[in-house]
Amino acid sequence: MRTKAYVPYLFLTPALGLFAVFMAYPIIYSFLLSFQTSEAGEMVPAGLSNYQRLFSDEIFLTALTNTFVIMVIQVPLMLFFAIVLASSLNAVKRLKGVFRVSFFMPAVTSLVAYSIIFSIMLMGDGIINQLLAAFGIGAIPWLSHPWWAKAALILAMTWRWIGYNMVIYLAAMQNIQESLYEAASIDGASRIKQFFSITIPQLKPVILFTAILSTIGTLQLFDEPYTLTKGGPSDATLTIGMYLYQTGFRYFDFGYASTLAYVIVVIIAVLSFIQFKVTGDE
Amino acid sequence: MLKVSKLLTLLLIVSVVLAACGGNNENEGTNTGAGGAADEKVELTAWAWNVNVGALNSAMELYKKDHPNVELKVEDIGRLDVYDKLSTGLAAGGAGLPDIVLVEDDRIQGYLEAFPKGFVNLSEKGFDNKADSFPAFKKELASKDGQFYAFPFDAGPTGMFYRTDIFEQAGVNPETITTWDEFIAAGKTIKEKTGAQAVPIDKFKDDALFRMMLNQQGVYYFDKEGKIDFNNPQVVKAMETIKAMGDADLVKDVNGWDGTVSATIDGTVATVPFGAWYYGTIIDQAKDASGKWGVFQLPAFEKGGNRASNLGGSSWMIPSESKNADAAYAFAEYFATTDEVQLIAMEQHGLFPSLQTVYESELFQNDVEFFSGQKIWKLFSEEMKDIPTPYYTKDYALALDEAVKAQADTFNGKNPADALKEAAQRLADRTKREINQ
Repeated sequence: MRTKAYVPYLFLTPALGLFAVFMAYPIIYSFLLSFQTSEAGEMVPAGLSNYQRLFSDEIFLTALTNTFVIMVIQVPLMLFFAIVLASSLNAVKRLKGVFRVSFFMPAVTSLVAYSIIFSIMLMGDGIINQLLAAFGIGAIPWLSHPWWAKAALILAMTWRWIGYNMVIYLAAMQNIQESLYEAASIDGASRIKQFFSITIPQLKPVILFTAILSTIGTLQLFDEPYTLTKGGPSDATLTIGMYLYQTGFRYFDFGYASTLAYVIVVIIAVLSFIQFKVTGDE
Repeated sequence: MLKVSKLLTLLLIVSVVLAACGGNNENEGTNTGAGGAADEKVELTAWAWNVNVGALNSAMELYKKDHPNVELKVEDIGRLDVYDKLSTGLAAGGAGLPDIVLVEDDRIQGYLEAFPKGFVNLSEKGFDNKADSFPAFKKELASKDGQFYAFPFDAGPTGMFYRTDIFEQAGVNPETITTWDEFIAAGKTIKEKTGAQAVPIDKFKDDALFRMMLNQQGVYYFDKEGKIDFNNPQVVKAMETIKAMGDADLVKDVNGWDGTVSATIDGTVATVPFGAWYYGTIIDQAKDASGKWGVFQLPAFEKGGNRASNLGGSSWMIPSESKNADAAYAFAEYFATTDEVQLIAMEQHGLFPSLQTVYESELFQNDVEFFSGQKIWKLFSEEMKDIPTPYYTKDYALALDEAVKAQADTFNGKNPADALKEAAQRLADRTKREINQ
């Protein structure tokens, strides 16, 4: 029996309705807001002034720089270690499950909870500095020095996301044919040579996928700096996501906040496009 | 799409939807309004957080004896969430807002400037007659252009909460500490003899002590005309004093509120400068230390200088879109100006009233056992009349942001005057305000 043509749409209605209310409408409305500004509590048209303001807004430029510095260091670092971790775990024969679960665990913890715990561990007299002291290393100003604060953020994010990426790589590695490694072994290639000449090229599409996901994630970075450093010291860890939140909810500037949101969208689109072009074959 | 921007617009929508739903149960009792009309059922809604919720409910119990028709539904929402919801609601033209909302004093002027039509003008409803019972600074914070928009509620007269046992061990008599210089000298003695540092400061994220010092000297981030006042010698002096404490290793760097509280409990600091409301936290969190606490006023910047200051405190506001504005006014006025309510708020919920008529009551003359029998409430209530008005303006949040950065720069080695000068310039760029040279 054939179903009537409208039936599938009927089933789609709830999803489409939710999408319209919670995705499409906000996207359109915030786009409109980005061309408005608040005057005496009412939104009035402001033309392109919000977009012009971006170029002279030093805090925006600081936030942009911070976000890119964190991204450029954190994303490659994390993805590389995730692949290394995945290929080591792939070779592990015993207690496979235990290792996999323990590395994946951080990915299921709540963003705020883990950030708070990191902020406690990284305090001036926190457990990490106590450990370092045990090895005769002086206390590191993790959350109070502009560079160390970025390092702390990168450290925390890497801990949180490395397992997630590792699992993706691990899954992809199951599809690499064993015969490739066998042939390489016969030709006398070392494990390290095999890793760089077989594993990495074979994982290329997956690496691209995770790179794009991580890039997007870093551009939207909010929870970690918000709980760990509040963007400080002196804006050293202020990200665009945090600046957007502050602009909207602390300074009541919804128009400019929407503009910032669209800037992030544009940056994500451009970066994703570049990543596809650089690494993609098709 | 970005998580936050989605959230922002999502909240807007939810509030619109909620407003539409909320319309139903407000049908009865609208427009005729006055809370006194005994036959009209009115259900008021309020947003508040923490101990304020209990204070509201206690007050309603009393109020209902004479106004059985009025019901109150208090939504206990986190402090910052109240602001997020209030901001989005006001931006959406007042959709989904409650009849009464709690707002901290440092935010009132910001809301009034950003949303001039957002709140009910209380002077038009006759609040001016009642206002004389409140101290000058509190009145000024609750009004704009001579018109009241907020009912003054609690305040935070400041003091140095100190550990009597640590002071004794070091042989320091707190009564001899009258200036910040003397405080630093005493701090060094205490550090040497007991190992305890002088004060906890969240060096890179909050500037509470700096703000207390500014208020104490009658200055703030802005002057009365709204010009940026970071270069004022008194402001610089405050930052230099904080730096001097840091240089003498008297400052314990704490992480946020929790860090401050744990430093308070574990005795790693000898004093904690805060508002009177910190009493509640101390007796709650440091139960074992009963009888080991005392309070003295902030040291002055010069001999005989002002030692009164304020940190924190909040007020009630009525959004203009309230369907029950008259009933809300009647209840909030009752709350703000009734001694009995304020005493309950103080006794049961630890909220220090700004209503001056209650200071004569017995509670304020009592010895407080936890504080070694000291009359701490008398000390705080006598301080109230000397508190200068801080000028927050609508750009307070930005100024706070820049002041915290100036403090962070100072602790990272910059000269206080330079750090403040740069902060002033950044703030001027962000707010288009003039800088006082």
